Amino acid sequence: MLVKLKSAALYGLEGEIIRVEIDASKGLPGQSIVGLPDAAVRESRDRVRCAIINSGFEFPPYYFTINLAPGDTRKEGSLYDLPMAVGILCASNQVSKERLKESVFIGELSLNGDVKGVSGILPICHSLYKKGVKNVVVSKENADEAALVENLVVISVTSLKETVEFLNKEKEIEPHIVDVSNLFKNDQEFDVDFSEIKGQTHAKRALEIAAAGGHNILMIGPPGSGKTMLAKRIPTIMPFLSSDEALEVTKIYSVTGLINKKRILITKRPFRTPHHTTSNIGIIGGGRIPRPGEVSLAHFGVLFLDELPEFNREVIEVLREPLEDNKVTVSRALGSVTYPANFMLIAAMNPCPCGNYMDTLQQCLCPPNKVQKYWSKISGPLLDRIDIHIEVPRLKKDELTSLPQCETSAQIKERVCKARNIQEKRFKDLSFRLNSNLNPKYMKVFCDLKEEVGNFLKSAITHLKISGRGYDRIIKLARTIADLEGSTDIKTEHIAEAMQFRTLKLKE
Amino acid sequence: MGQESYNLGKDGEERACNFLQQKEFRIIERNFRSRQGEIDIIAKDQDFLVFVEVKNYSHKSFFTPIYAIRKSKKESIIHAAKLYIYKKKLYNTLCRFDVVAIYRHISGEIIIDHIKNSFGI
Repeated sequence: MLVKLKSAALYGLEGEIIRVEIDASKGLPGQSIVGLPDAAVRESRDRVRCAIINSGFEFPPYYFTINLAPGDTRKEGSLYDLPMAVGILCASNQVSKERLKESVFIGELSLNGDVKGVSGILPICHSLYKKGVKNVVVSKENADEAALVENLVVISVTSLKETVEFLNKEKEIEPHIVDVSNLFKNDQEFDVDFSEIKGQTHAKRALEIAAAGGHNILMIGPPGSGKTMLAKRIPTIMPFLSSDEALEVTKIYSVTGLINKKRILITKRPFRTPHHTTSNIGIIGGGRIPRPGEVSLAHFGVLFLDELPEFNREVIEVLREPLEDNKVTVSRALGSVTYPANFMLIAAMNPCPCGNYMDTLQQCLCPPNKVQKYWSKISGPLLDRIDIHIEVPRLKKDELTSLPQCETSAQIKERVCKARNIQEKRFKDLSFRLNSNLNPKYMKVFCDLKEEVGNFLKSAITHLKISGRGYDRIIKLARTIADLEGSTDIKTEHIAEAMQFRTLKLKE
Repeated sequence: MGQESYNLGKDGEERACNFLQQKEFRIIERNFRSRQGEIDIIAKDQDFLVFVEVKNYSHKSFFTPIYAIRKSKKESIIHAAKLYIYKKKLYNTLCRFDVVAIYRHISGEIIIDHIKNSFGI
């Protein structure tokens, strides 16, 4: 007897339908699983057997051939336990076939017959829905996540027994529903605020521009001047994730298994702070089966690299491609996967090993070669990709003791949101949403410079020896500054402000 | 020791046969041997061809013994079963491996346990 049912597989962020075919034949009892299963799939025969017996069903003494089609792609993980168990029960007439056709089964079984959750359920369900699947049967742990896909009928089950009762129409299970708008209401509060930072108005202005246009930023300053403090407050001035963005970010977290019950939808912009001992695979993604790295986990959010020169040089250099392309492709023997990586890079560093190099109050004790070596860890190409370089000086005595009377995050955020709305309107039919992502094709359309402004920039770049990319990036930055002001044209003063953010290389 | 345990084994198989017959199994063959193994009882239970391994526990015990069938034993049973199927040309038959365990409770009572479909290939 042959039974066919459907399950799914995850390749990168794309889900595929996997057909599970189970044939029960006469002969000595046993099982074999074909269709490139990995160790976890092969082990499932033991879990399935125990789960069936412990759920009070009979494990039929047939020879089962289980085929996971298509046969030429690798199947990994424990998510085929549930479809296999249901199929085996169906092949021995313990389950009616009627409801099998319409559903996709995803779930791991424990030995006592409970259905457990698996990671990556959101990207799987999202792709399946696009491929025309209407119903999924998943574990209770995964139900919330699966229900994030609009219009998908999610049947949540806790045990194999319950699944069988549902399939035999002995028990009806209502589709699981999640109120998405309610999820957005939660956790939109921060415990830090920009008003806590005294002075540093220049740095704050730079961060505001960076947040508005999604520009990368490098902060240089002596220890204790507030670089980390500033960076930690960036999420408070960034606009909330839109529902599409939230879904995309959550997909990446779902693949990594970082979704928990309390937080099924990532509604806050990610803020990733990898330690400087992180390997390049940790940053970019990788592993035997490629997993997303920090750049992808920071998608639509902020990647904050504190103590930039302490990172391995290799680690910093791998950032080059994702900074330019907004995605990373990781290729391994088991397949090549592309993960999105549209993040805003924020880096912080000291100007020299002792930290006092550019300080007016304390003297730097580092020999010049040490300073040079320290700087040489950061390559020119990387600096070229960072639009804004700012100094964060040590606070002066009176600034330090005075009461802070600064703008709150909410006030800054309002301006940032306004600028982002302008950008959204401008790019509404295009694949990108931020000035920093503008590609050369649209530069002319959206960033046309008036003659006098063009001449100003021309004379500046001949003096300052700015690269071609640097030229483009200055214009994009000026575009953001103009947007913050609400100006439709890019004016000379916008260009001038943008340029003073890029003068780091000239100082050295 | 040798003769004694042989007798005990025979005794157990005798008991197992009676037990299975009570359950309306039809005994077809006993002690079927292949070069690598032996099947204690081959019986027919409705449509199923059942290969039965009899496990005897001589010592008295408070609790149910673990019915240990080692991998090597399992393989030898499977080997013999394949040979039997080949000899009798029973390729398209429903088959099953059962275990009948016989042990003595500390009270002296003899307990027979029947595990259906205990393993597969």
